[in-house]
Amino acid sequence: MLHIRLFIGAIAIMFFAATFEFIRKGHLREEYAILWLFTSSIVAVLSLWPGLINIVSEITGLYYITAVLAIVFALVIAVLMHYSIAISKIKEMNKELTQKCALLELRVRQLERGANIVGGTLLRKTEGEGGVPPPDLSRKMERATGLEPAASSLGSLHSTN
Amino acid sequence: MDRRIAVIIPAYNEEETIGSVVKEVKGLGDGYEVIVVNDCSHDATARNAELAGATVIELPANLGIGGAVQTGFKYASAAGFDACVQVDGDGQHPPREIPKLIEPLFEDGLDMAVGSRFLGGAYKVPLIRALGIRVISLFLKIAMGVSLRDTTSGFRALRRPAMEFFARCYPQDYPEPESLLIAYMKGFKVIEVAVEMNYREHGISSITPVRAVYYMTKVLLAMLIDLCRKY
Repeated sequence: MLHIRLFIGAIAIMFFAATFEFIRKGHLREEYAILWLFTSSIVAVLSLWPGLINIVSEITGLYYITAVLAIVFALVIAVLMHYSIAISKIKEMNKELTQKCALLELRVRQLERGANIVGGTLLRKTEGEGGVPPPDLSRKMERATGLEPAASSLGSLHSTN
Repeated sequence: MDRRIAVIIPAYNEEETIGSVVKEVKGLGDGYEVIVVNDCSHDATARNAELAGATVIELPANLGIGGAVQTGFKYASAAGFDACVQVDGDGQHPPREIPKLIEPLFEDGLDMAVGSRFLGGAYKVPLIRALGIRVISLFLKIAMGVSLRDTTSGFRALRRPAMEFFARCYPQDYPEPESLLIAYMKGFKVIEVAVEMNYREHGISSITPVRAVYYMTKVLLAMLIDLCRKY
């Protein structure tokens, strides 16, 4: 009984130390780490001071292991739910970033080809007379500069994929 | 009138067909700019589209059909286009039918035109798919009181207000039926237009019979949730 308690306590302390190390190295953000630090501290304290669990059950009235398990299970589900929400949010942000990145990359290609883009508006407004749709303008520039129609930039993109 | 129409073609591994689709659209006239959104294809889709004269948007990560089309909406909105048409890159949607979708937007002031395989035609789809399309149709009838037959058609045109709205907010996984519901909820005027469609030249539908059940569950659930939202 003592051995297994010491074993669990040692694991909890190692877990605590590992969590601390992950935060220090920047692999784990503090907001998520708090949960792990908290969990490992509780396991460590309970395994090294078994009297505490009796005091806790005295106070809360929780004597049945099934009730304790149900509570722990509910907490685990809540944590998983939290992660699902976090992942959904990250996915949405990732989509927005991907789209923005692709649109900016296109804009860079158009600018390299000499298309006239002003301010936040792509293509439509051209300086001076206006009304000249820049796709035509860019094609004229291509002919003038002898640039391939972005085939080179596309090629390099594909090779990196 | 000098209208600029963006023809948005979301493409994933469609090197065989993309070139001819782009060329056909370009043949429609000067008012059309072809925008191919390459959803991280592994083949020469982007190169073939570019060589055929399209503006190519290269997504650096695969987003799926919803995210790809939305990228096109974002581009077309920022670039000041008056309307856009979504066309499949696999040759299923004949570009010669595009003017039929554009016309009601400007002649009748509608916001969205959906190309329909079923209006005045005998286009055959597999039984399980036909059933799914019917169920979504029924859902729209009950929820919004509208009659629409081809609820999964991805051949559709949007006038600027709807295009700008969908540029901000567009369903991601199976966007066609959901975006119809959202359009109705938003108060956009939608019309179904009879168009001819080809049977797929290359590639297979993203909806195989195996996935049909999942598709239906997901779409109906998403639409139920949409009904509880405010757009």
